[in-house]
Amino acid sequence: MGEFIWHHWARVVSIFASVYLVWAGMWGIAYRKFFWDFVGGHLDTVNAPPIGGFHPGPNSAPFLEIIVKVPLIQILSILFGLFTLLLEYPAPFMKQTSLYRSFVARAVLLVLQSFVAVFFYQGTNAAIYGTIAAFAYGRAAMRGEMMEEAKENRGKASAA
Amino acid sequence: MSESWFKREILTPRRLAFNVLFYGSHLALFAYGWYSQETNTKLSALNGLKFSVWTSRGAGLVLAYDGGLILVPMLRNIVRIVRPKLSWLLPADENIWFHRQVAYSMAFWAMVHTTAHYVNFINVERTQVRKEIALHIHYQEAGGITGHTMLLLMVLMYTTAHHKIRQQCFEAFWYTHHLAFFFMIALYTHATGCFVRDSTNPDYISTFPFYSTQHCLGYESWRFIIWPGILYFGERIWREIRARRTTELSKVLVHPSGAMELRIVKPSFKYKSGQWLFIQVPDVSRFQWHPFTITSAPEDPYVSVHIRQVGDFTQALGERLGAGPSVVASLTKAAMKAEEKVDDAAPAFDRGNFVEIDANATTRPMPLVRIDGPYGAPAEDVFKSEVAVLVGAGIGITPFASILKHIWYMQRKGNLGSLRRVEFFWICRDAPSFGWFQSLLQEVEAAQTNPDFLRINIYLTQKISEDMMWNIAVNDTGAPYDPLTLLRTRTMYGRPNWKSIYTGIRSAIETGRYLPGREASLRTKVGTYFCGPSALAKVVREHALAASTSSIDFTFAKEHF
Repeated sequence: MGEFIWHHWARVVSIFASVYLVWAGMWGIAYRKFFWDFVGGHLDTVNAPPIGGFHPGPNSAPFLEIIVKVPLIQILSILFGLFTLLLEYPAPFMKQTSLYRSFVARAVLLVLQSFVAVFFYQGTNAAIYGTIAAFAYGRAAMRGEMMEEAKENRGKASAA
Repeated sequence: MSESWFKREILTPRRLAFNVLFYGSHLALFAYGWYSQETNTKLSALNGLKFSVWTSRGAGLVLAYDGGLILVPMLRNIVRIVRPKLSWLLPADENIWFHRQVAYSMAFWAMVHTTAHYVNFINVERTQVRKEIALHIHYQEAGGITGHTMLLLMVLMYTTAHHKIRQQCFEAFWYTHHLAFFFMIALYTHATGCFVRDSTNPDYISTFPFYSTQHCLGYESWRFIIWPGILYFGERIWREIRARRTTELSKVLVHPSGAMELRIVKPSFKYKSGQWLFIQVPDVSRFQWHPFTITSAPEDPYVSVHIRQVGDFTQALGERLGAGPSVVASLTKAAMKAEEKVDDAAPAFDRGNFVEIDANATTRPMPLVRIDGPYGAPAEDVFKSEVAVLVGAGIGITPFASILKHIWYMQRKGNLGSLRRVEFFWICRDAPSFGWFQSLLQEVEAAQTNPDFLRINIYLTQKISEDMMWNIAVNDTGAPYDPLTLLRTRTMYGRPNWKSIYTGIRSAIETGRYLPGREASLRTKVGTYFCGPSALAKVVREHALAASTSSIDFTFAKEHF
């Protein structure tokens, strides 16, 4: 059998991660929670909520602003996910871009996407899968794999 | 898409029945899972979480169902035994297709279940119905750990099973799919964390299954779904044992077309024609099993497979056997030359000859070979129809080698079942690949006493150069044998017109020319057996089924690889 083509696999994982992330982001807007709020947080099991229950620590405050108060991270994640999907599927207008042909750019994009996703409660799995996809694109770039030239890049016959 | 989704899924009665049963049972289980959670007064504390917990319980039950189903189509030996008895009910040859349907369903319900649980756990943390935080349930309890593990394993298994990757690099798919072992373990232990309980704390006990069913009120679905897992595991062990029985590679023949024929002697190996096997050569690769069609008939004293050196495994195997690409290349070149020289008066039979690799001549002894199988293929049913239309395209001809040989043996014994006529079609792109199969066809053709029984139709679809055309024209006229195949049957050029072929067969049967003495009141079965690319399969199938009338049944069966 043939060789394992990393960027083929990376594409499928990346689509998987991005669909997951868009879905997670929507639920993240409905149920807002900072994933890492347990760091410095404290659970009061004696009293009932709202006095008792879980209270995030003071170091979480800036993150609570952009996740719980305003779901900025979630919206950003959805946008990242949608953009990656457009790039990976690919949307017709993406095929012509140099971004489409670059594995390094995709790896960077996926690392950024995963970095954003890892902050909110629902997004951590998407961050793991996105990192796997980024790693696979990195392998593809290292092994010197090439993106198949998009047919549209060659120009229309009539235009020649 | 030539046919619409609606026509394919709804208007085909068998598919409709499957859809109703498959998706109906899923929805029914989901509804039951939901209902039994919502109405269980013992779980009223959990029911405070409302829709999310009802959804997660329903979807969880459906996932257990899928987890039980997913291994069933992969029980290859059981499927092989069961298939002939149930062929009227289920297309058991579609086992991989069914496996995929279950997998898709599993992915969907996993999404539902996971989403619901994310909501559940955040609400547990907010309402403190249990005194813990969400991440504790996610990453420190059995349910959460196994659940997240299964999701990750699914990502890995599904992505490498994508057809593009599977066809490009089968090993990546094959090895990654063995993560299913850990997936199944995680699935069976998913509920051991006792999340569904009526007590404050999980009620763990020291004996199996390590939680008390008095307070842990899950569906206990693992008790039902573990059996396919155990059967599958047992089957894999059984396959390993069976593969280790005495197997000897007795002969290696290299055909000029580049195909190697391995003749293997394994007394414990019983099979029917049209079946296939897995082969393993530890010298080449310790763990890999590769599927090949059996090309010998059950009556032969050996099991043979024809292998073309196209992939890295088959090439490495060729090297190991002393029949590497260089040897084959020179043979093929010689064969091409012979073909160009057909006009030399010497009968061109030399083209059909093969070279035997002599085990004593090479310094290395024959390698150890293991075979596992046989596994089923629809072509076994050939003897059940009156007219068998065998269609092979390219290398897809291999199962028919066995079937034709088998028919030949049966003919000599005078025991053909209900089979009255055989129409054999071979669609081939280039002339040199006629090579190895041709000697077999010659033998079968020569053995025909009834000229009507077997009709061989060979189509050459390659573009023919002018030189070649004249060459053929010169050698064809008046010669007793076809210049390309050396058969009495003439080769046809271009693609077959399936519509006219099938309507031709139909009208020939109806007028009584085709099957003399056929009872008009009885239904005649014309079975088409196809092996080759799926695009062609679709066309053949369409035309075959379209030819059916009230008294003639046209059926279609396709082999899967």
